Amino acid sequence: MQLALENIDLRLGGKDILRDVSFAVDDGRFVSVLGESGAGKSTTLKVIAGLLPQDSGRVLFDGTCVDDVPTHKRNTAIVFQDIRLFPNMDVRQNVAFPLKMRKVPRAERLATADRMLAAVQLEGFGNRRTYELSGGQQQRVAVARALAAKPDALLLDEPFSGLDEQLRAEMRQLVSRLHAEFGMTSLMVTHDADEALTMSDRIIYMSDGRVVQEGTPADLLLRPASDVVRAAFNDASSIEGRVEGGIFMSGKLCVSLADLAAYDETRAGDAALVGARANAPVEQVAPAIPDGPAVLVRVPDRTPFVHAL
Amino acid sequence: MNAPLEKRNRQTLLEKRKRQMRRATAIARTLVGVELALVALPLLVIVVWAFTDAWPWPDLWPQAFSARGIEQALSGRQNMGWDTLALSIGIAAACAVLTTAVAALACRALCHFQWRGRDVFQFATILPFIIPSTVFAMGIQVVFLQIGLARTVPGVILAHSIVALPYAIILMTDITRAAGTHREEAARSLGAGPWQMLRHVTIPQLLPGIVSSLSMCYIMSFSQYFLTLLVGGGRVQTFVLVLFPYLSGGDRTIACAYSLVFLVVTFAVFLIFELLLRRFGAREEGSLYG
Repeated sequence: MQLALENIDLRLGGKDILRDVSFAVDDGRFVSVLGESGAGKSTTLKVIAGLLPQDSGRVLFDGTCVDDVPTHKRNTAIVFQDIRLFPNMDVRQNVAFPLKMRKVPRAERLATADRMLAAVQLEGFGNRRTYELSGGQQQRVAVARALAAKPDALLLDEPFSGLDEQLRAEMRQLVSRLHAEFGMTSLMVTHDADEALTMSDRIIYMSDGRVVQEGTPADLLLRPASDVVRAAFNDASSIEGRVEGGIFMSGKLCVSLADLAAYDETRAGDAALVGARANAPVEQVAPAIPDGPAVLVRVPDRTPFVHAL
Repeated sequence: MNAPLEKRNRQTLLEKRKRQMRRATAIARTLVGVELALVALPLLVIVVWAFTDAWPWPDLWPQAFSARGIEQALSGRQNMGWDTLALSIGIAAACAVLTTAVAALACRALCHFQWRGRDVFQFATILPFIIPSTVFAMGIQVVFLQIGLARTVPGVILAHSIVALPYAIILMTDITRAAGTHREEAARSLGAGPWQMLRHVTIPQLLPGIVSSLSMCYIMSFSQYFLTLLVGGGRVQTFVLVLFPYLSGGDRTIACAYSLVFLVVTFAVFLIFELLLRRFGAREEGSLYG
């Protein structure tokens, strides 16, 4: 589903929270809304889901205005930072909740719930109580619950902020994988610039209730529209070059995209930014990047990646 | 030379500390024992009196026992038996449900929304605490006479509810604030309509508060004397109205028999609340879910 905001304004408690916010997310894309806290990112998600009505402007799903559609009929699902599982239900019932709301027969919805739990690597956890699970497991249940709703748009509100660094890395991979697998339009709010760089097709940078810049990760990294955007990407570095036949080239530097995908920064040590090892197992399929100008991006502690320009 | 002395000193200190702790435990146990006795002994006296035929002063134990009191309490003679009991339970249950529903809505308005006059409204909810119930009863009786609610069961229920409301609101405020609207937002975003959200998320979240409030309002209504007398005008005969003349009139056997029935019924109702809680899965292994 294509998702678009047109000139959204919102005032809450006498303060301008959103000012003339417009952007579009194409069908099946993974887009991040990046910005400092208080920039209006989470509010934007709530406006899309219909939890907060905007003062002016329109929300469009596939070109149709949904301003009159109540939250529960918009078919979006939010994964919240503070998880928000239902404590009066076990894990399976939590995941089956959106299906129950859609009057799906019991046997079918429980089967779907089990499939979703398997997708987030929580097979066999169905009968547990939510409070018996660790924070990371709870957040995976929340992701499974959102996926079970088969949402047209998956909205992620800083989903990894409450987790420790190692769990966050695992969750990022999981969410990226699930996005590839289920293919729904996804919009993630984050204040972590590196997270936005490594996970997204496009990034929308918000500051003080406005959209400051919108573009591919490479756009924001190489051509920041303002100092705030430049400051956000301080830790990341990049090399401009070209991709030809699955090889990234910049001067004498040549990197195979397949090797890059298999590159594991945590095992590599400091020496090898580009020294992708021939023996490394190719666990991931390299993203198909068309021949032409591209940029190699390195973010500390993350897998480097190549983005077409 | 010094080392053994130090060691002995330390041991004496340790023993002293242990003695102190033992004494503290003994004191705590005594206090708990006294408290239990203060609750249990009067109850025991009521039970004994309910089955007593003759207990002249200064005997420590009754001379003769009989089931006269209990028989009369349950006989149905003079409008005093099962009918009265059923009416009282009905009024108390209706009052409990009505008050708790109103309190839940009021707490929601107070905790989750910003609006002009909220503080005044919050103060107004505890006004029934401040106004003496006799004053309130006189006033409400006049109003109820004018609008035709006096001497009716709905009138009594409404009057009881007004008195019980501040207690219900105080019991429900904290849990309403703690529950927040976060999970409701999650439910709505996952496709729950307003009624589904209420049924599957809001009520289960508030259930501990709802049950406390139901119990409190029930017992307040069930034991209300003066207000029932005035608003009911003698036509609405609740259990307490029947019990009262025996308490003041001196037939202790019958008064205690009624009191015993009162206690048993109240315990039974609370037991039903507890069973319902378990039934709906809100309580597991003895504790309410987080």
